[in-house]
Amino acid sequence: MNITFRSAIVLDPRSKHHNKQVDISIKNGHIYQIGKINKPVGKEINANGMFVSLGWFDMSCLFGDPGYEYKEDRTSGCQTAASGGFTGVALLPNTNPVIENKNDIAYLKALNKSHVTSIYPLAAVTKHALGEDLTEMIDLHHAGAIAFTDGVNPVWNSDILLKTLLYLQKFDGLLINRPEDKMLTQFATMNEGVQSTLSGMKGMPNISEEIMIARDLRILEYTGGKIHFSNISTAEAVKLIKKAKQEGLKVTCDVAAHQLTLEEGLIDDFDTNLKVNPPLRTRKDINALIKGLEDDTIDAIVSAHRPQDEESKKAEFDQAEFGQTGLQTVLPILIQLSNKLSLEKMIEKLTISPCKILGLEVPEIKKGAQANLTVFDPKAKWVLDEYTNHSKSVNSWYFGKELTGRVVATVNGENTYILS
Amino acid sequence: MEELKVKHLLGIKELSKEEIQLIFRTASHFKEILNRPIKKVPSLRDVTIANVFFENSTRTKLSFELAEKRLSADVVNFSSSGSSVKKGETLLDTINNILAMKVDMLVIRHASPGAPHFLAKHVDANIINAGDGTHEHPTQALLDTFSINEKFGKVQGKKVAIIGDILHSRVALSNIHALQKLGAQVMVCGPITLLPRHIQKLDVKVELDVRKALEWCDIANVLRIQLERQQIKYFPSLREYSLYFGINKKLLDGLNKEITIMHPGPINRGIEISSDVADSEHSIILDQVENGVAIRMAILYLLAAKRPDYQPELT
Repeated sequence: MNITFRSAIVLDPRSKHHNKQVDISIKNGHIYQIGKINKPVGKEINANGMFVSLGWFDMSCLFGDPGYEYKEDRTSGCQTAASGGFTGVALLPNTNPVIENKNDIAYLKALNKSHVTSIYPLAAVTKHALGEDLTEMIDLHHAGAIAFTDGVNPVWNSDILLKTLLYLQKFDGLLINRPEDKMLTQFATMNEGVQSTLSGMKGMPNISEEIMIARDLRILEYTGGKIHFSNISTAEAVKLIKKAKQEGLKVTCDVAAHQLTLEEGLIDDFDTNLKVNPPLRTRKDINALIKGLEDDTIDAIVSAHRPQDEESKKAEFDQAEFGQTGLQTVLPILIQLSNKLSLEKMIEKLTISPCKILGLEVPEIKKGAQANLTVFDPKAKWVLDEYTNHSKSVNSWYFGKELTGRVVATVNGENTYILS
Repeated sequence: MEELKVKHLLGIKELSKEEIQLIFRTASHFKEILNRPIKKVPSLRDVTIANVFFENSTRTKLSFELAEKRLSADVVNFSSSGSSVKKGETLLDTINNILAMKVDMLVIRHASPGAPHFLAKHVDANIINAGDGTHEHPTQALLDTFSINEKFGKVQGKKVAIIGDILHSRVALSNIHALQKLGAQVMVCGPITLLPRHIQKLDVKVELDVRKALEWCDIANVLRIQLERQQIKYFPSLREYSLYFGINKKLLDGLNKEITIMHPGPINRGIEISSDVADSEHSIILDQVENGVAIRMAILYLLAAKRPDYQPELT
């Protein structure tokens, strides 16, 4: 589809058009013209007051395909991602069956040519993501797995972690680990703090995350290789990773967008949409996470999209499943944070940074480049509701609320999403 | 007539001091009726109440049922141990089935914290929390504070030590809220693994030595050791617990004052409390039980008055 955006501000520090208001036309999947365009091609969109950035990449996303297609399948997931501004998503392997052989990888990549959002599969480190027996990681790498992780399950076994970090060095592979000591979070449903005391629920203490990070870093120091921590949530976690980076360890990390705005106290009325893992923490943790983004201790912002069907959420709090949808609410959350962090910084953590971590080519905004763009209006107000929601699931605290900041177009080569 | 602001009794946290005092006044009235030769009043005629218990209960259920019958309500009982999820039916489906049979009020006990709050969002009936997991047990806290008020003439300024398994106790949390709203000071005491880590932030004192706790307090509310609600090991043995945290006569005789002993029941005699303490003149354990019926009558009556087309008579 050919298209011309009029008067958008470019947000890409690598582009010579950075911070300039330009017209951009796209023809046959490539940037055809950029600057002042007198002869537009295709559909014209007035993007005055809007930004155009590189297409966004989500490093921590989960659909339910295969196995839980009623929560999110490949198509609904990719449509949700496109409407949220994402041209690429790395999918966690926690499906049924778990993504652990080359056929699984091929299945996930099969529809990439026809969707705006491309799926980049993450393969399991261990069979069934149970943390016991290693998967065939070299074979999975050649089949297209971009990194290795047990997804929502931590690699709890120190020996498996050690061996994985060694084994992956053959092809400079990346291990992504969700740091959580499951023995300390057994039966827990929310953060351990004042709110868990008031709600009468067992809490997940901050140290359940921190001691796993400390363990993993020590093992990394021993083995070499590289590790990425996903969805960090505590102040001390930021501190540990900052120190490790200063010491020269190859470590990166990401944070879920909702972790930057939502606090534990919101759970006061037992809204199961706020039952997420890692749990919503305190203001102190949130401030440390924001500071960690500012000083680049935290490398990426992710959606942590975890769709759940109605039955999994319309239940008693301790019986409900963890997770909330996130792909469509990343931008509104970033806009909410824009008085604390520059938009440029936040967009970098959705674009250049995740691509670098995963060893993917970083797209460019220049004439002739393949189009990989997100156009968004930072001021547009909208409500996430049954009409605007693209996901099969509605488990978001933001559902029904008015949000500021909306994606207007997502372009990935020949495929384009345009807000209608 | 004076009325409650809340439509449900989900927890003490949601009640104001004035609402608690209104419940006390109403309960005093009902307690007087309960001591008449004819104990039954027609206040809740035509109101149907379901007692839905997903956890075992003897006295709370009996107390609610008696309260309902004294008020002339129609009563149905539903019991199921374990969570409804295991049976393949969701909690909401179970409740909607019961309500479809034209039930007006629901007394619910459930193992999940917040289960009554969850139902309150999805159904029309008035909901009374009869204990939700390790969260709240509001009628117990109301009858406890009512009993203190009855014995001392006030709750304001009293020092109350809650002793035992605070972590797994819904009674503790509801009591903390009720006592603080009424102006009492609260201390919790028990093995440190059975005290919530952040409990001090609720403005309560924490003491690990039971003797010191007893020396400080006017009233000791001794909690049952909830072995059935402990999914993980928190202390080594009941023997050690009773030796170092149990309340016995020798311990009380060593104090240079008399303190009032309370217990929400059922008692593990010889573990958290010895028989000679439970049965002593300083124990108001059976008064608590008696007051339980009056408090529950008051709650049911005041919540029925919140129903749009119903004005119960206080007879």
